[in-house]
Amino acid sequence: MFAMTQTDTQRAGGRDAVPRSMRRSFWGAVMTNGAYGSVTGFLFKSQRRQFLLLASLPIFWILFANIGPILQMVRISFLDSYPPTAGYQPQLTLRNWNNFFAERIFIVPYFRTLAYSVVFTVATLIITYPVAYFLAKHVKRSSQLLFLLLLLIPFWVGEIVRTYAIMILLGNNGAVNLILKSLGLIERPIPFMYTSFSLGVGIVYLTALYMLLPLYSALEKIPNTYLEAAADLGAGAWTRFRRVTLPLSKEGIASGCTLVFLISTGYYAAPVLLGGPSTTVFAETIAGFFHVAGDQWPTGAAFSTIMLISALVIAGLFLKLMGRSGKGLMQ
Amino acid sequence: MSNDAQTIVHIDNMTKRFGNVAAVDHLDLKIRAGEFVTFLGPSGCGKTTTLRVLGGFEMPTEGRVILDGADVTRLPPNRRNVNMVFQDYALFPHMTVGQNIAFGLELKGKTKADIDDRTGELLDFLQLGGFRDRTPDQLSGGQRQRVALARALAPDPKLLLLDEPLGALDAKLRGQVQVELKDIQKRTGKTFVFVTHDQEEALTMSDRIIVMNRGKVEQDGTPEDLYFRPQSRFVAEFIGDTNLIGGTVRGMENGSVLIDWNGIDVRGAAHGHRPADGSEVTASLRLENVLCHPQKPSDKNAIEGRIVNRLFKGSRTSVDIRVGGEGALLKAYLDPEDAGRIQDDRLWVSWDALHLSVLQA
Amino acid sequence: MTRNTRILMSVIYWAFVVYLFVPLVLMVTMGFKDSKFIGFPIRGWTLDWYSEIFRSDEVLGAFGYTMAIALSTTLLSLVIGTWIAAFLGPHKFRGKLIVFALACMPAVIPGIISAISLRIYIQFLQLDTGMAAIILGHTIHNVPFVALVVMARLATLPQSHIEAARDLGADQFVAFSRVTLPYLKPALIGAGVFCMLLSFDDFVRSFFLGSYQPTLPVLIFAKLRSGMSPEINAISTVVLVITAILGIWAERSMRRMNKGTSV
Repeated sequence: MFAMTQTDTQRAGGRDAVPRSMRRSFWGAVMTNGAYGSVTGFLFKSQRRQFLLLASLPIFWILFANIGPILQMVRISFLDSYPPTAGYQPQLTLRNWNNFFAERIFIVPYFRTLAYSVVFTVATLIITYPVAYFLAKHVKRSSQLLFLLLLLIPFWVGEIVRTYAIMILLGNNGAVNLILKSLGLIERPIPFMYTSFSLGVGIVYLTALYMLLPLYSALEKIPNTYLEAAADLGAGAWTRFRRVTLPLSKEGIASGCTLVFLISTGYYAAPVLLGGPSTTVFAETIAGFFHVAGDQWPTGAAFSTIMLISALVIAGLFLKLMGRSGKGLMQ
Repeated sequence: MSNDAQTIVHIDNMTKRFGNVAAVDHLDLKIRAGEFVTFLGPSGCGKTTTLRVLGGFEMPTEGRVILDGADVTRLPPNRRNVNMVFQDYALFPHMTVGQNIAFGLELKGKTKADIDDRTGELLDFLQLGGFRDRTPDQLSGGQRQRVALARALAPDPKLLLLDEPLGALDAKLRGQVQVELKDIQKRTGKTFVFVTHDQEEALTMSDRIIVMNRGKVEQDGTPEDLYFRPQSRFVAEFIGDTNLIGGTVRGMENGSVLIDWNGIDVRGAAHGHRPADGSEVTASLRLENVLCHPQKPSDKNAIEGRIVNRLFKGSRTSVDIRVGGEGALLKAYLDPEDAGRIQDDRLWVSWDALHLSVLQA
Repeated sequence: MTRNTRILMSVIYWAFVVYLFVPLVLMVTMGFKDSKFIGFPIRGWTLDWYSEIFRSDEVLGAFGYTMAIALSTTLLSLVIGTWIAAFLGPHKFRGKLIVFALACMPAVIPGIISAISLRIYIQFLQLDTGMAAIILGHTIHNVPFVALVVMARLATLPQSHIEAARDLGADQFVAFSRVTLPYLKPALIGAGVFCMLLSFDDFVRSFFLGSYQPTLPVLIFAKLRSGMSPEINAISTVVLVITAILGIWAERSMRRMNKGTSV
């Protein structure tokens, strides 16, 4: 009973007019196929070869798709002309980088972007922290999903549509002005649009989820017993928040702020649509170099590189700061 | 040696190192066809590594594995005729019981009719008849274990490897499955290589037990050998409860070894070796081999003692007995009958000299 | 927490929900307004804007274009992302953390810089702006999300399942196809829908990498620059409905995956 005969298998060898029951399964046919065997025999010959095979596409992709564009951008930023024109060999230059320091119209948007991003990040944190706290600590575990889903739905809607929605909300004939007017608080509509206020409302609207989710998952992990223990030891609500909840949600704050900061430095459509001349951000400055004649590309590349480095350095410093003080509080 | 007709596997001087640590250290042994062999030892002793080397999941650092006369040391698992029952059963959750069992047959290129027949045969054999179209999450622990067994048996392996397959079952079921597993092994006539840290499981099922410790074999023998004639302190302590008696060899008397144990003369047996006179030795005496007598028995070797501690364990009472002078303590079991007849905690103990096993190390 | 703070918290939560939904509700409402003028008051209702956009070649063209890009992007991202996860998930090697960070990099690079660097890169690759360039850009951006989701799922696959398949005669490829892939299915569906969503919604990359044919977000942007109109509301509402459906679908399959029992 436990020994199998080989004859059944051999019978299945012929291809034509073989009854269904005498056929092999798809994978059986694959495994017993000679060509497949020699290909896999070659590919999987050694552990080393298997590893290289598995590593091939990821390594290629990371080099080609992730590092390639950034390296090209940095390279272009040192050229005096790009895209290449026939018969001219681009020369290396630092001119594009110097442009940044030469003109006020470049430096101001740069610092404005960083300042906006910091302010919007802090605003997002302050707005979403109680929301995340409420979700994690006051909503029953079984209904948390539903409450979270309610917040998620608006965030699936893309950047442009949501920006447009904010435009309708804040417009001179928008809902806010309508309500204020009907309450008799104002006579003429307040011009919210095309100011740093409308931009702020828009950016917070766009980024809130990236803050909310890390905060929620950090807060959700804090056992309620910690807070009860603190209360038992006589800590009031504020003390419990400051000494227990806040330090333990630090990780969520750190990653949420980093994400929101990085993302908000990169918005282009929202500032264009919601902001005005006095709120020009660096993304608009950079984009400008790509709309006009070709030889501005290198300057755009240099500025993009400056922006990328600044954003990453600030995010890195911030993370490091949070890490350090986090340790200090633990001791 | 490896073409010995009886030998199905020869682990030839095999060493497996992880970094600087030798998980298995120069292991050399042969497994005969049709044997139920158990590797027994504490976690980290190298038993699972040995099994994984047999399965092809680990490549030995040194040495060879000869399977049925062919060197399979460097062959991957899919190219050796060995199958494994995993600790967590590793049933494919997206396949039915029938598909799980058919998996190995399919990949061997069997025809659909063959696969159907064989699967049905195994389902019947393992009493899984009505479960063919169920998925693993609809089965109980014991049923899953049988499906894993059926799946591993399906491709007709030369060797069936079982990696602690009873660990996930509750204690009650485990005893029943032990009997079933032994029965299945007998009926199929397959060579089973079983790995466990549970000495009781090993004693119940195995034809042969290999006790491992720190990558080396401590003792290799039948369950009876290991239990009653342990050769090392490790084996004596690892399997069952035992008294370890340290003393000086005084000589031989009527084939028994005479040992001075804290001033008391005790008789024991050295299995397969002869300790030198005057040497310090350790001997093992199983608790159940200590005979307790409420009155002084006729056996002139009986020793008088006093119970210093009792632990009631239901069917019997476990007692600590102080015998002779200072520090000579003996653990033993007391029948409820005897327990009632002992007065003032005084009693006599004796044992068959064969049961006091003088250890080699 | 005292009763008062609890009430305050819930008020903040619901205020936040209102903040999230009101702009969208307004936007949808204005799409039914019987006037070219966006804003209050509303005097009449109409479905004309919808019938107009469903007859507009411009809108339908953009919709088809966006869908084609989203589908291609999703397919590519799934293959590459899964491959990266299969490589980075189970293997230990020196410098793995750096490789991992580099693999995730496109997900955190600010949008405008991602778009600009890609615009320069396709020039370098001598790839014209247009569909292929957008697909490349979206794929680069989406792969890290797929890789992360698949890696999370892969981490819960018991090693013994692969070993069991190998033990029963499967080579690496067959074991992957027959055991790993079915196990990854919920993650692949979730990540795939999420990719569709990201690609369908993306503006900045589509804007800089696109040619004359706009994607839906780019079309909305272009129309907005020449002023608001209920037609834009109608298009945006269609986009909103599609993304909400995709989003709920993605969410559902991810939840099922996290709940999913493995035997």
